[in-house]
Amino acid sequence: MFYLFMLPGLVWFFLFSYVPLYGIQVAFRDFQFSGGFSGSPWAGLKYFHQFFDYYQSSRLIRNTILISALKLLIGFMMPIILAVLLNEVRNVKFKKTVQTLSYLPYFVSWVVVVTLMQRLLAQYGGPVNNLLESIGMVKDPIQFLNNTSWFYQMILGSDIWKNIGWNSIIYIAAIAGIDQQQYEAAKIDGAGRFKQIWHVTLPGIRNIAVILFILATGSLMSAGYEQLLLLSGPATASIDSVLDVHVINAGLNEGRLSYAAAVGLFQSVIALVLILTVNRVARKVSDVSLF
Amino acid sequence: MWNKRRTLVSSALAVTLFGGLLAGCSDNGNGGNGGNAGTTGNAGNGGNKGNAEANGDNAASSNKPVTVKILHNWNGSSAGDVDMTPIAEAIKEKTGVTVQFDYTKGSEVEKVNTIFATQDLPDIYTGPAWGGELDGIVKAAKEDQLVDLAPYLDKYPNLAKEIDKENVPPALYDKAIGAFGDKKYLLYQNQPASDKDALDWLYGFYVRKDIAAKVGVDPQSVHTKDDLYNFLKKIKDAGLQENGLPVIPLGGFHAGWAVGIGNMMFYGSDYIDKGDGTLEHTFMSKQYEEYTLYYRKLISEGLLDQEAFTQTDPIANEKIKQGRIAVLAAHYPAILDASKDYVKAHPGSDYVPVGPLDRAGAEADRPADLAIQGNNVTVITKKNKNVDASLKLLDFLASDEGFKLVHYGIEGVHYDMVDGKPVAKKEMFDKFNADTTGKAKKNEGFGIGFESMSGLDRTVTLGGDIWADQDRIAAMDNARKILRPNGIKVISAYAAGDVLAKSPQYESLKPSMDQITTVWQQAIFTKSDAAALKVINELREQMNKTGYADAIKYVNENLKGKEVVTLQMPN
Repeated sequence: MFYLFMLPGLVWFFLFSYVPLYGIQVAFRDFQFSGGFSGSPWAGLKYFHQFFDYYQSSRLIRNTILISALKLLIGFMMPIILAVLLNEVRNVKFKKTVQTLSYLPYFVSWVVVVTLMQRLLAQYGGPVNNLLESIGMVKDPIQFLNNTSWFYQMILGSDIWKNIGWNSIIYIAAIAGIDQQQYEAAKIDGAGRFKQIWHVTLPGIRNIAVILFILATGSLMSAGYEQLLLLSGPATASIDSVLDVHVINAGLNEGRLSYAAAVGLFQSVIALVLILTVNRVARKVSDVSLF
Repeated sequence: MWNKRRTLVSSALAVTLFGGLLAGCSDNGNGGNGGNAGTTGNAGNGGNKGNAEANGDNAASSNKPVTVKILHNWNGSSAGDVDMTPIAEAIKEKTGVTVQFDYTKGSEVEKVNTIFATQDLPDIYTGPAWGGELDGIVKAAKEDQLVDLAPYLDKYPNLAKEIDKENVPPALYDKAIGAFGDKKYLLYQNQPASDKDALDWLYGFYVRKDIAAKVGVDPQSVHTKDDLYNFLKKIKDAGLQENGLPVIPLGGFHAGWAVGIGNMMFYGSDYIDKGDGTLEHTFMSKQYEEYTLYYRKLISEGLLDQEAFTQTDPIANEKIKQGRIAVLAAHYPAILDASKDYVKAHPGSDYVPVGPLDRAGAEADRPADLAIQGNNVTVITKKNKNVDASLKLLDFLASDEGFKLVHYGIEGVHYDMVDGKPVAKKEMFDKFNADTTGKAKKNEGFGIGFESMSGLDRTVTLGGDIWADQDRIAAMDNARKILRPNGIKVISAYAAGDVLAKSPQYESLKPSMDQITTVWQQAIFTKSDAAALKVINELREQMNKTGYADAIKYVNENLKGKEVVTLQMPN
């Protein structure tokens, strides 16, 4: 019976993660409407060469890694901090309310999030600028969007706001699984709240954090196309052009499906290498690994 | 006992979940098939699908009811609130064809590429006759995705006329109509049937009359690029506000449309004469650099809307309705539509033409060079099982009767014939005019897609635009007088871009050339002139690396001795 429950999940993975692997061959073919995936003529590594010959390829890779790394380093810590803080809250009603409010944004689409940002952060007439001006924090309204000086803050801030609650669930569950006797023992030993967090809570969620970190490194070559597609613009093009958006534009807007598949495959191969490397390092350093 | 029940309930849940998953998957498949079944025609008639496919071509001759799915690939087009409009009903009566429109929301190029890549094809595709959209359709024709119409054209004279060599611009004919030997895949529509039908959209810069008065500038005194800059600067320096928000000197509509039209003050067309009789792409020229730096100045000094290139139409319209845009760059009908509400609430705030602006490379008395061509191509995809019925529909729409039906409506219901000319019925005219949403017209069947396929444009020949109100006609006439003091000249020469698209290097060059607009936008947002030129030069290098030199050589060789477009205004 246990295995029957797994079946829908396995079927899902098979249909949506393994079956599409068949399409990888398009990266090595000159895709034609009439030939499809398997009938188009072979093109070898032509599209990989095209990508590396493209004058912006290094910029695309650099921007992608930079944005992903920032999301990984900062965005990865935030759910842990939220989970630990929530664990320290004694008022159950308040705790539940914060928890619910924090993971609601996860269910809001990026289109809505970006529209909200455009409205709230508008340079003229936006509530945020109005507030800052009225309390005298700024003299002139700030252009938050389409501005290289504020680009990373906007990308990271919106990403954290949207995902922090949802990503903290697994840590909250891990914390809930920590034996309460450990806290009692720590108290008897004279540990205060901070010492308890440091010596009991954080070690208790260490394994799960390492595993999630290994998985997260897999997305280092993917900065998130929806958010970047919606928040990018000509003013920030030098730092916002990422591989994910390049793939979408090349494939759908320019009709270069083989090229887009080649760039996508390049991203995936690098992601696989990263996961294997980090997994190996993690196993050596902390004895925790995926496999 | 309890365990048994629990097991039973768990099993039921698991089976339900799995069943749901499979049903979900199979539903997708059926959805696609359903679409095809519906489009095969007789499914909607309760007929047997197999029979419908077998008898599809007989449907046309017998007016047997057929349903045809048409993708109207024009971003923003949409239907009204009713499925079957009176005009659609009249078309069905005439041809036996019920039309199901599907509309594009978003990029038209993306849509073309997606439908052929995924094979989620409509029966009929109709969409823009230019750019990546046309490239996608030509590629589809080359790769056997479309129905060859040549064997049918004898039976459908209105369609044959649409693609007569004399009715299609020469380079476009070579590229898209006559490029497949004896086969013909594309129909071409909305090109003027005669000179008087030539539609001038009156692209230009338009300023709010009240704002021009406030800053003390006569819009007709603005001629040079410096005049325009100074005019915008004056508006900015006046510190005007609407509802507590600053007025933006220059703005446009979605994704930057069409703030860049100031390019005509710097160069004549996309390809210019280098001075030695040979052509080069304007992007490679000094003039392009000057144009870029001019716009960079507008951006850096806050004269051009910072959101111009990232905004959507609703956001752009909101700004116009709030009265926040002083000068708009676009075609005049779009500006009149967008500003209608504001002007109604604030009499005297109409947008009026700026200029006429000087044109680079054109003598002062030269008529406006306009490429008044068709704007639409229509094809029948290989999925279509009712080719004859579809052609009968298209042929009817392209006939005079069909043209009048989709533009003027049903005689006696929407219009009457007075002295041999169609005149809108007053109640209909008032109803449409009072409705600012445009839904009232769409619910009758106007503006939902039929016009795109109505053959050669005969608007003036057959009676004029009967739905335009007097104020609008007067505004257009006034703008025409100001912006076209020397009249217009319809371009009939070869477009170098169409020839370049046939060069052997085009496949490798196209990805670089597709970046030109994006790179220009990036350049104008850079922090310095040097940085802007660096961005431009990087793409120039990439173009050279991907075969530009050989491609332009091919263009020059093939256009030797031919009349080539070197002066062209937006239209």
